[in-house]
Parts: sequence; C-alpha cells; structure tokens
Amino acid sequence: MQIEKFYYDNRTVKWFGYAVMFWGVVGMLAGLWAAVSMYYPAMNLGIPATTFGRMRPVHTNAVIFAFVGNGIFMGVYYSLQRLCKARMFSDTLSRIHFWGWQLIIVAGAITLWAGKTTGKEYAELEWPLDIAIAVIWIVFGINMFGTIIKRRESHLYVAIWFYIATWVTVAMLHIVNSVELPVSMWKSYPVYAGVQDALVQWWYGHNAVAFFLTTPYLGLMYYFLPKAADRPIYSYRLSIIHFWALIFIYIWAGPHHLLYTALPDWAQSLGVVFSVMLIAPSWGGMLNGLFTLRGAWDKVKEEPVLKFLVVAITCYGMATFEGPMLSLKNVNAISHFTDWTIAHVHIGALGWNGFLTFGVLYWLVPRMWNTPLYSKKLAGTHFWVGTLGIVLYAVPLYWAGFTQSMMWKSFTPEGQLRFQFLETVTHIIPMYVTRSIGGALYISGALIMVYNLFKTIRKGSFVANEAVEAAPLPAKIATHGRTYWHRWIERRPMQMLVFSLIVVAIGGMIELIPTFLVRSNIPTITSVKPYTPLELQGRDIYIREGCYLCHSQMVRPFRDEVARYGEYSKAGEFVYDHPFQWGSKRTGPDLARVGGKYPDSWHFNHMMDPSSMSPGSIMPSYGWLFDNELDTSRTEKMVRAMQKLGVPYPDGYAMEQANKDLAAQEKNIHASLQSDKIHAGSNKEIVALIAYLQRLGKDIKSAPKEQTAMKDADGRDVMGN
Amino acid sequence: MSAIILLLGASLSVAALFLGAFIWSVRHHQFDDGFSPPRRILFDDHQPVSSDTPLNGPQARVRRTDINDTLNQN
Amino acid sequence: MVPCSHMATTTDKKTTCDHCGDPCTIHPIKWGEKVFCCEGCRTVYQLLDRSGLCDYYRLNEKPGLSHAHSSRHEKFAFLDDVKMAAPFILFQDAQETHARWYLPQMHCSSCLYLLENLHRLDPGVIASRVDFAAKEVTVLFDHSRIRIRQVAELLTAAGYEPYVSLRDLGGTKPVGTRDNIYRLGVAGFCFANIMLLSFPEYFGLGTSEEALRGVFRGLNLALSLPVFFYSAQPFYRNAWSGLRTRFLNIDAPIVLAILVTFARSMYEVLSGTGPGYFDSMTGIVFFMLAGRMLQDRTHRRLSFERDYRSYFPIAVSVLTEGKETPRSLPEIQCGDTLLIHHGELIPADGILTRGQALIDYSFVTGESLPIPKEMGELVYAGGKQTGAAIEVLVVKEVAQSYLTQLWNRQENKKEEYSFIHVLSRQFTYIVLAVAVCAAVYWWAYEPARIVNAVTAVLIVACPCALLLSSTFTNGNILRILGNNGLYLRNARVIEAISTTTHIVFDKTGTLTLPGDHVLTYKGRPLEPAEQRAIAILAAQSTHPLSKALAHHLEMAEPCRVLGFKEIPGKGAEGWVDGTHVMIGSRRFVTGSRAITTDTRVYVRVNGEYPGYFCCSSHYREGIARWMHVLRGRYSLSLLSGDNDRERSRLEGWMGKGSRILFNQSPENKEMYIRHLQRLGERVMMVGDGLNDAGALRQSDIGIAVADSGNSFTPASHAILDATQIRHLPVFMRYCRMAGRIIIASFILSIVYNIIGLSFAVRGDLSPLVAAILMPASSLSILLLTYGSATWAARRLGLKLSTADEKDHVGD
Repeated sequence: MQIEKFYYDNRTVKWFGYAVMFWGVVGMLAGLWAAVSMYYPAMNLGIPATTFGRMRPVHTNAVIFAFVGNGIFMGVYYSLQRLCKARMFSDTLSRIHFWGWQLIIVAGAITLWAGKTTGKEYAELEWPLDIAIAVIWIVFGINMFGTIIKRRESHLYVAIWFYIATWVTVAMLHIVNSVELPVSMWKSYPVYAGVQDALVQWWYGHNAVAFFLTTPYLGLMYYFLPKAADRPIYSYRLSIIHFWALIFIYIWAGPHHLLYTALPDWAQSLGVVFSVMLIAPSWGGMLNGLFTLRGAWDKVKEEPVLKFLVVAITCYGMATFEGPMLSLKNVNAISHFTDWTIAHVHIGALGWNGFLTFGVLYWLVPRMWNTPLYSKKLAGTHFWVGTLGIVLYAVPLYWAGFTQSMMWKSFTPEGQLRFQFLETVTHIIPMYVTRSIGGALYISGALIMVYNLFKTIRKGSFVANEAVEAAPLPAKIATHGRTYWHRWIERRPMQMLVFSLIVVAIGGMIELIPTFLVRSNIPTITSVKPYTPLELQGRDIYIREGCYLCHSQMVRPFRDEVARYGEYSKAGEFVYDHPFQWGSKRTGPDLARVGGKYPDSWHFNHMMDPSSMSPGSIMPSYGWLFDNELDTSRTEKMVRAMQKLGVPYPDGYAMEQANKDLAAQEKNIHASLQSDKIHAGSNKEIVALIAYLQRLGKDIKSAPKEQTAMKDADGRDVMGN
Repeated sequence: MSAIILLLGASLSVAALFLGAFIWSVRHHQFDDGFSPPRRILFDDHQPVSSDTPLNGPQARVRRTDINDTLNQN
Repeated sequence: MVPCSHMATTTDKKTTCDHCGDPCTIHPIKWGEKVFCCEGCRTVYQLLDRSGLCDYYRLNEKPGLSHAHSSRHEKFAFLDDVKMAAPFILFQDAQETHARWYLPQMHCSSCLYLLENLHRLDPGVIASRVDFAAKEVTVLFDHSRIRIRQVAELLTAAGYEPYVSLRDLGGTKPVGTRDNIYRLGVAGFCFANIMLLSFPEYFGLGTSEEALRGVFRGLNLALSLPVFFYSAQPFYRNAWSGLRTRFLNIDAPIVLAILVTFARSMYEVLSGTGPGYFDSMTGIVFFMLAGRMLQDRTHRRLSFERDYRSYFPIAVSVLTEGKETPRSLPEIQCGDTLLIHHGELIPADGILTRGQALIDYSFVTGESLPIPKEMGELVYAGGKQTGAAIEVLVVKEVAQSYLTQLWNRQENKKEEYSFIHVLSRQFTYIVLAVAVCAAVYWWAYEPARIVNAVTAVLIVACPCALLLSSTFTNGNILRILGNNGLYLRNARVIEAISTTTHIVFDKTGTLTLPGDHVLTYKGRPLEPAEQRAIAILAAQSTHPLSKALAHHLEMAEPCRVLGFKEIPGKGAEGWVDGTHVMIGSRRFVTGSRAITTDTRVYVRVNGEYPGYFCCSSHYREGIARWMHVLRGRYSLSLLSGDNDRERSRLEGWMGKGSRILFNQSPENKEMYIRHLQRLGERVMMVGDGLNDAGALRQSDIGIAVADSGNSFTPASHAILDATQIRHLPVFMRYCRMAGRIIIASFILSIVYNIIGLSFAVRGDLSPLVAAILMPASSLSILLLTYGSATWAARRLGLKLSTADEKDHVGD
C-alpha cells in the first residue's frame, strides 16, 4: 500500500453550478410570470402555454427539480469527493447524470407548457419522464455509492448520511407515487383513485419536501457551514441524533396536507402527531447550525457566504416551526386553501434552499477558480436585496391568506355569508402586487450574483482536476484486538449488486402483496356512477389546463363552506377519480358541487371571457377551447384504461358504444346552448369541459336522502366556525 | 385503504434499511470518536501537494536529520 | 499552505514559547522572529516548518508540547527487539506494519492535524489515524523504509512521545462491547414503529377497517419480538444473577412486568380481543436501556484499574559484559545489573553498585525530598534516579519487589447494593400486595376479571420509573462532574461519596505541588555579587534544592565554577570568580550537629556564613478556604510520609479536631483507614502516588489526584484533576444532591403509578391509557432529573459543558 496521488473532479461540479444559476433564473422568472398573471390575467397573451395553470407547474418543477436539484448535485459532487478523499466513482456516470438530468428538465418544461401533466402536484411529469428520472437517479446512486465504497477516509461524515437518506427515500417515493397506467405516449392515469390517490400523493408530496428540499440541504449545511466558518460543527453528536430522528419521523407527516378532507380521521390525526413531533429534530439541527457560529459573529459581518447561510438556517427554523403549527387542525382550518401556505413554502424555498444555494455558490466558485470573489460588496448587495425580497414576498401573502380566510368564514347576523367569493379575491389583489415586487427583487438579487460570479470566473483560472494525496483504506483493520475485513463489499461488487437487487425485489413483494389482499373499503355510495366518455374527455382538459391549481374540489365540513358550496365531500364520491383533483389552493371558488349550479351557457361565456360573467374575475379566458377539436379517437383507450383500473363500465363498452354516448351527450349540450342563442362549433373541447363541470357533485344530490344521512353517520358532522 | 399498506410497507422497509445502516455504522466504529471527524473535514483545504516527485529523495533525508537533532539535543 | 512566517507572535511582557506557549526562561532561544523556551521546541518548529505543516500553528494558539524535559535518545531502542515491539503491532505483512501507541499528550485539533500528517514528516509512513477519544494513534508504515523504533522516535520528535509501560506487554486492552448500543438501536426502531402502528387504533381506526387493524396488530406483534428476546436480555440476566444470590434486585420486578405485559399482549392480539400493550413494553425497555447507557458511559482515556505495571517501563537497559542492551522487564532476574538513567524508574529492588544515587521516593513514600544512597545500599523499586546514571544489582525480581507486593495486596470488600434496590424491593412488595387485593376483590365479585386486573396492575406498576430516575440522574451527574475534572469510576461512587463521614488526605502531591519548593532567606541581607555566586554554584548541582535555589535567585548566565565539588546528601562547594561558595546541610556548611525540623540550605561565602534558605513545600491555592468548608461537615485526617516540619501550618488549616500523622508508611496509612472503618466511619481517602495505593483501595472512596490529564494514578474509585481539588466540597455537595433528585423523581413516578393503578385495579386499563402514562412518566422523569441536575450544577457554579475555546480552528 502506498500514498496515492489522485484528483478531485471539479468539472462536473462546475457544470452543475452553471445549471443551478441558469435554471434558478428561469424558474424564478416563471414564478414571477405566474405571480403577475394572478392580478393581470391578460399576462397569458391568450396563449395556452403561458396561462397560470401551466406556468405554475413549470415554475414549481423548475425551482424544485432544476434549481434545487442541480444545487444538491453540485454540493454533493463537491463535498462527497472531499469527505471520501476520492474522485467520483465514474466520470462517465457523472456526465450521464448531468446531461440526463438537464434533458429531463428541458423535456419537462416543454411537456408541461404543452399541457402534458398527470395533474398531481409536484409529480406533474408524465410517465416517460418518470422513468427517465428513475434511471438518472439510479445512475446518481451508483456514482455516489461507488465513491463511498472506494473512499480513503474510513469515517462517513454526517453529511454523507444525509445524502444517502436522500437517495434511498426519494427513490422509494418516486416509484411508489408514479405507479400509473399509461394510456398514450404522454397520458397516464394513477392506479389509485380519490382518497387513496390523495393519500399517496401527499405522502409523496410532503416527503418530497422532506427528502428533496430538506435532508440533502442539511447535508450541505453540515459540510459547507463548518467550512465557511472554518470551525467544527457545534455538536457532532447532536448532528447524528438529528439525522436518525429526522429520518424516522418525516415519513409519516404527509397526511397533514389532507386535514378535514375525506381522508379517514385516524390517518389525519397520525399526520398531525408526527408533524408536531418533527419540530424537535428540526430545531435541533437549526440550533446546531447557529451555535456553530458562536464567537464568530464578527466573521459573519464581513463574510457574505456566512450571511447567506445564517439567514438560510434561520428560515429553516421558521419554516419547521410554522409547519407543525399549520398541521394543527384548528390552524389548518384557517390556513388551508389560502395564500398562507404559499407564504410558508416560500420561506423555505427562498430562504432555506435559495440562500443556502447562493451561499454555497459564493463559496465554491472562488475556490474552484482559485481567485478571490470579484466583489464582496456586490455579494452584500445581493444579500440585502434578496432578504428584502423575501420579506416583501412573505408578509403580504401571510396577510392575504389570513384576511381571505376570515372573509370566507364571516357571516352576517342574519346568518348569510357576508362576502361573495370574488370579493375576497379582489380584496387581496394589492397583496398579490406587493408579492410580485418582492419576487422581482429576489430575482434581481440572483442576477447580481450571476454577474458577480461571472466576473469572478473570468478573472480566475479553473482547476478542473484538483490534486490530492491520501493513502487508501487498509484492506484489513484491527481494532482493539478484533480484526475484520473493512471493505469486503468492494472485493465482491458483483455479488453485492445481485444481493441488493434480490433484497429490493423481496421488499417490493412484501409491500405490494397485501395491497391486493386487503380489499379497498371506502364507504361506497350507490348513486355515485362512473363518468361518461364526454365527461372523461372534459376531465382530461380540466387537468391539462391545470384548473386544479386554482380550484379545489373538496368541501370541508365547515359551516361557511357548506353554506357556500353545498354538502361537504364524502370519501365515497371520489372512487372513480383517477387522479383525484382535490387541489390545494382556492384562488377561485371550490368546484366540488358546481354541477348544475349554472346553465351550460354560463360556463360557455365564462370560459370565453370570465369577467363578462363575474366582473373583476382574475381568471384568464380560455379561447382556444372553442377552436380545439375534441380528439374522440382517444375515448376508447381512456375507457379501457379506466376499466383496467376497476371502473365498472359494461364489457365491450369502450368499442363504439362509448363514442356513441359521447356524441349523444354532446348533442344535448349543444341543444341547451342553442336555447340560449349560443352556437358552439361541433365537436369542440369546450363542450366536453362543460359536460365535466356540470357533472361535478351531481351524483350525491340525486342520491336518496336516507343514503346521504347514512353517510353523515360516518364520523364527521358539520362544524361551525 | 389498501394504499396505506403500500405506504406502510415502503416506509417500514426503508426504516429497516436504516436500522441496518445504523448497526453497520456502530459495528464499524463510526461513532466511537466524536472529536476528530468534525475537525478533520476542515483540514483538507490546507493540504499542500508535493510536486510530482514523491515524498522521498533529498527532502526526506533532511527531515530524518531533523528528527535526530530533536532527539539528540535532550 | 500558510508560510510560518505569517503566524502571529505574542510579545507581551512575559515572552512565551511560540511552540508550546510555556513561559520562556531567562534566555529564550530565537529563530527568525520566533521565540522558543527550549531547543526541543525550536527543532520541532523547524521540522514542521520544513515539512509545510505550519497549519499546526494556524489551527490553535501555541498548541505544542513543552520539550523542556523529554526522554533520552536510546529510550525506544527496545523496539528493535521483535518480541518487545509485538504488543504495539496490530497487523503486519510483507510490506506494511500497523502500529498503535497511546499518546496522552493529545489535546487539540492541532494534535489531530499533525498526527494524521506524519507521512509528510517521513516518507516511510504511509498513513496515520487518530482515535481522539482513546488518545491513540495508529500508524501504517512501510517497514522496509522506516523501522518501528524510528516511528516512535518520529512521534517523540514531533512532541508526542508514546507512553509505553509494562502494561502494554500484558497485551489485552479491554474490548469495549457494543451489544448495548445494538440493543438500544433495535429497541428504538421497534418502539418507534410500534408506536406509529398503534396510533391508528387510538385515533379510532374503526371496525370499518378490520383488515387494516389486523395488519397493524400483526406488525406490532412481530416488531415486539426482537425487543422481548434481544433488547431486554440484560434485565433478565441481572434479575437472574440477583435471584441466584438470594437478592431481589430492581431488575427482578422489571422482568416480571415485561413478561406479564408481553404474555398478555400476545394473548390479546392472537385472540383478537385487543391491541395489547406492545408500545408500552417496548417503550419502557427502550428508555431503561437508554438510561443504563447514559449511566455506564465511561471515560475512555482514564483507567481506574491501574496496577504497578502502568508505571514501570516496558524495558530497561541491562549491562552484560559492559555492554548496554534493552531487556523486557519480566525477563529481569536476580543478579542482573541494570543501568538506570536520569529520571528513570528503578524497576526492582537491588543494591547500588556504581554511581551516586539521589533517589526521589515521593511517589512511593510521599517523602518530598530525594534521598542520597551510597554504593552498596539497598534501593527499592519505584524510586526515580536524579542525576547521573547509576548501576543497580537486582536482588529481587520485579514481581517480588517491595513495591509490587505493596500494590498487589488483595483486599476483600463485600459488594454493597445501592439504596435503589432496597427501595425497589419495598415497592415491589406493595405492588404485589395491591395485585393480591385486586385479585381477592374481583374473586368475590366478578372472577372473570381477576386475570385482567392482576396483569394490569403488574403492567402499570413496575419500578422502571425508579430505575429510570436513578440511571438518568447518575448519568447526568457523572457527565457534569467529568466536565469539572472529577471522573468517577461508576455511578455507585456518587452514592458512596454522599454518605462519607470522614476524609483522609495525603500531603505530598495531594495538598502540595509535586517537586516544587518555596525558599525563604533568613540571615543578613546578601549582596548582589554574593547572590550571583551562590546562584551560579547552585546551578551546577543536580540536587533539587540547589535547582530550586538557582531558580529562586533567578540569575543563571553560565559561568565556570572552579574546583566544583558535590557531596551527595551534604552539599556542594566551589570557586566562582575568586569567591569560594559553599551550599548544603547545616552540618556540611556550619559544622554544627544541631538538628533542624524544617529543611534548610545553608550558605557560606569566603568562609563567612551569612544565613540560610528555609525551604517549605509549595501548597495548592486556597487550601485554607476549602479545608475550612469541609471541616464544618466531615472529620478530617492527614497522613504524610513526610516529616512533621509543617505540622503547625497544617493544623492551622485542618483545625485542632483533626488527626495529623507524619512519617506514615503505606502500610500505616492503610491500617489507619481500616481503623477508622472499624469505628464505623465511612472513609474517603484523597491521595496520589503509590504510597497511597493501599489506602485508596481500602477506603470506601479512594480519590486519586492527578496533576495533569495524562499523569498516572493508582487504582481508585475516582480520579480528580489536581487543579480542581479546591472544588472538593462542591463536588461532594453535588453528590449528596443526587440522592434527593432520585427520590424526588421517584415520587413523581409514584403519582403516575397511582393513576395507572386506579385504572388497573378496576381491570379496565386501556392500552391507550398505558401508552400515554408510560412515555409521559418516562419523559417527565427524564426532564426532571436532567433539569434538576443541571440546575443544581449551575447553583453550585459547576461547568455544564467542556466547550474549550482551544478547539476552534483558523482566523
């Protein structure tokens, strides 16, 4: 054994760094666009792609998977090599990983703009991309574990544990949540329906936050904070406990996104309990981070990197304190469906993820190009502009959320709802404006950084391969009398691979088998019938246009919601909803019971020009729905798929009967429009959409009284507040 | 709620995986010494790398004499 | 890499060494703009400078270790002998060797940095790895390029001389068992998941979801098995060993509770009548294991089990036909001639055959001044030679020598059980009584409920709470005391300290600073010239008193002394530019035969006798104060191996009431302790060195005083950092509080028990109630104990954490 001279691969880190800056700006601009269109609907320029309903998923996916995703990879590829005292396992894999991921991002952006979406928040990408993501993620995994195995430093620093946890958990989440049935190249339906789909989705949704936006960044914090402060982490023991505690608890916090919904009460309570428990490890981590700087605050004053990290950690603390609060039922009753939630996540996104990424960039670039930062002053400016941006973003939204919620819930002495829904929206528009200004500030900050780093890069000389010396780990280690083989895995890579595959396979079986044994026992409602083919078509359009991003389909058992929308939603109503469309935000009113509320003509005009029907509405007009032909060739596939998923259409229904019924129903709608002097072109998408909207919440109304009464018995009763 | 079973299975198997990881790390003395690891990561930046001539030859001899000085002068 | 010239040199009034930070002597060594206290420090600096390891200095302020007194060159010669090197070698193959050494000097991140960059100091070294907690370094080196001896010397050169003792030959280091950690991990995992899977039912997972409920219960059952069969093992074992010795210790009722809970839960789940109490069971096991863990956490770098072998060198130089060869100690036989160098330990009783011995027995007898020995006199093992090398003819083998005998004398103390166990026994009887009553009651009214009620009672009311409160309290107290420099061997010591009635002190090295003397001059004032002359003469002599004198007069610019003559045990004389100077004993200098009780150095300049220097031991700071505090509460004694010249002073501190005995042999001390114990006293002995070993072991609590983290202490119940001795009263008070804290938290837990029992006796203890009570009580106990321990510590002004600023890196 000899001391080996080897090189750290900085090139991959550089690429990911560039990607972070690029996608960061793109994603934020998309966000800004969406933010503006919330008070200036014409912002969509009448183009489908730029409408809020499609811009918003582009924004969320871009910042989460492009900006933060590349941020994770940048940080991991830099720190992992140094922590393991080894070059990344394979340069080829690194390259594949990088380009693969960027490809997915581009494809994702394009498909989302084109309206190809699963309609499940934060998992909008369609099945081919889901597969691509899985593949690239595995490439990343091999590269990471390969590096860990051939490391020259025996101790696995706590950051590495966070990376490992990230990889394992995200892999699991992605696979479980993407169990879907493809219908065509760019369309698929999730296996689960309604309540179950919602549970899986939010189990995933919350853990995506936990294991994509939190654990990897905690790993980065545990590496870059000590480096930047040039002092060891306050308590290493605490950091280890932090890790193990977080891992266990996070998994189960998901259901708190579904409080007061049709999800069984016990599952909701479970979510609450675990969310509340989360505060302990989270704050443990935050304090550990801040205490690391004890006695170094003088450094924080003049070191921009530390400034960013401090704010990031503080925001982490705030967000992880607010989270559990929001998951308390009575708080959630106020905050849910409002902008409060948006403010909450942006404290995390802009503060924790954004600022930590900026800090890391400011730290990395000068080192990899070995030259001092072009301008500390500019970095300082970025810091203040960014911080101001966060404040201007969050505060108005908290205010907006709270105000709107209060308005929704307020009644006149006579027991009438005090405000029309639209009033509550127009009332908070000023807040929306301020929010977009905050966002704009934040972006300009990011642009200052890009300029600053660009100048730094220009004057520095890039060190693509950083030379290091270290001895490999001895194959045989003796510790206090006991000797054992240290890296037996490394000596049998093949067996190890096979072994792990078998383990995974068995695990999968164990997971899936009981799923089929235990029959789903959602209390069914006999009057709830499958959607007609036309409605199915309409539903796909509803999903394509991202209506669920502004309109919920879930009436919670509150006096005001029942008064405003009608009877609260029951689990049994959604058994045919693949996917569920409960939504998470009410920029517009809830649609769960909109069926039959207005005449077809109302919807027709409303979709053509919303403000004509409801003056002051911030909903954009969907002109293209009146020109696009309805693709009836898809009907058969759709129905078949639904049958596969257990929706009880009669046998052979898909063949031609489906389209026959479709045509028939279309004719009826045309007729009713005619009666209002409206002539819709034949076979247009708008008709299908109207059909779907008119169907929403109808079944249960038509249900015989005693049946719904029986439904009421299943636990929940209307609560006044 | 058959979905629960799926989620449960997934979560449990992952949890079990981490239990395994925990046992591995204890067995491999990962947590024995809480002092060194957090400090070790701070050192790598200060590592000067010897020019391509490996660490023997003239310099090395110089050093060996140093050591003897140190010992001799006591 | 930071060039060394960039590092800051503090040049305050008192220049300190840029390497080790020690105050520089009268003539500091300059090197560039650096200042060093000694050649040693300079060369180390030079070494690191050339190897580009100057971050060593960047990481911490003056992190080095003083080289003022380090060992001789040949010290590690013995490592050339394969047999003697063996104990340090972990692994060896054709090219490389892995060797491990104990480096007590390790203290900061700079040490870590330097020791893990050894390969930059020598091309032969491949890598080196530090285990800071154990203060060990493992060096991987290419033995074709560097010999193991050279590695040891490399370490020494860098300022980290490996500590090698005869003990290393013994080989077997205690293997720290990890089973408990695994047990804890498994218990934690199962507990957490069982809790998760139990919640749905508590939150009202209705009959609508039969299937799910079945799955949950099944999983719970499965998850509880590892806890029951694996994690809980220690409790079974303890309980069983207790029962075998006819003693109902605290584990017995706990095991009973675990068994009952498990059995009943099994029944409920299998019969489908209920979810069982798996979460309570696993939870309690988890918490109790955690408590035990906290309490049993040991100070890895300290050893309370040292025997003489830790003090003896692993090898000595034996003279065979005039040639000096290292030989391992066990191989020394009667008739061998040993060559003992300055500062080396005499390993075996023998006869002085050459050289003038001036032997420091302070460690063995407590006598503070070295004793001169003439040729032919018997020298005992354990003494340290000061001055030139001597030759000793071995008459007794190491194992038989006086010292070893003294050490190995076996004491037979009966194992005492903590009051916890006694308490738990009463508790158990009460619980059983309650159970019986419940049984009788239901037998009368509704026999069907008997089993329910009885099992419920046993499930709820187990003294786990008591175990938790004691383990967590003790754990915290051990930790906090440790942070303050008092390291206890185990938790039982806390209780023992709190019940102490009588404290016995040793003088030399315990109350006094070892090998440090205070000189006060009596007589007509000396002229500078005279002072200078005396100082110069004194500087020539090796006798500690002369050294002290030279230091006291603080002028030592070298100057030749003509006709220098030193008569060991008497004094020295010589001509310092024209003046004849004499220093030494009264008899040697003045010729008078009068005997003085105190130690004096008489001087004579050109035949005229101006006066004498009176020498007294240097006592630690503020003895008067803390002695006074102790006096109030405990009866005190002082045993000194030294003569009684300082009686009056000591009496002043310890008060008339306390016994002060001088010229005490180690046996005397031990007998005195025994005597006190016979009088029913619970004795705490505070001492250092071998001479107290017997007493320390005999006493109920033996506290060994260690002068620096790495100095060696005899077997004892506790090790006290000498600089902290002034806090002794505080420490003892803190220990007394422990008992109260435990009782308090136990009472709290009783409250929970009563609540639980009120449900249990009625035979309707719902799993939910149990699931709430168990963690609630455990957690509140945990908080109470932790909180009160911390609060008490703060009130007594104890440090809560060892956040040493030395650790921070950079600037």
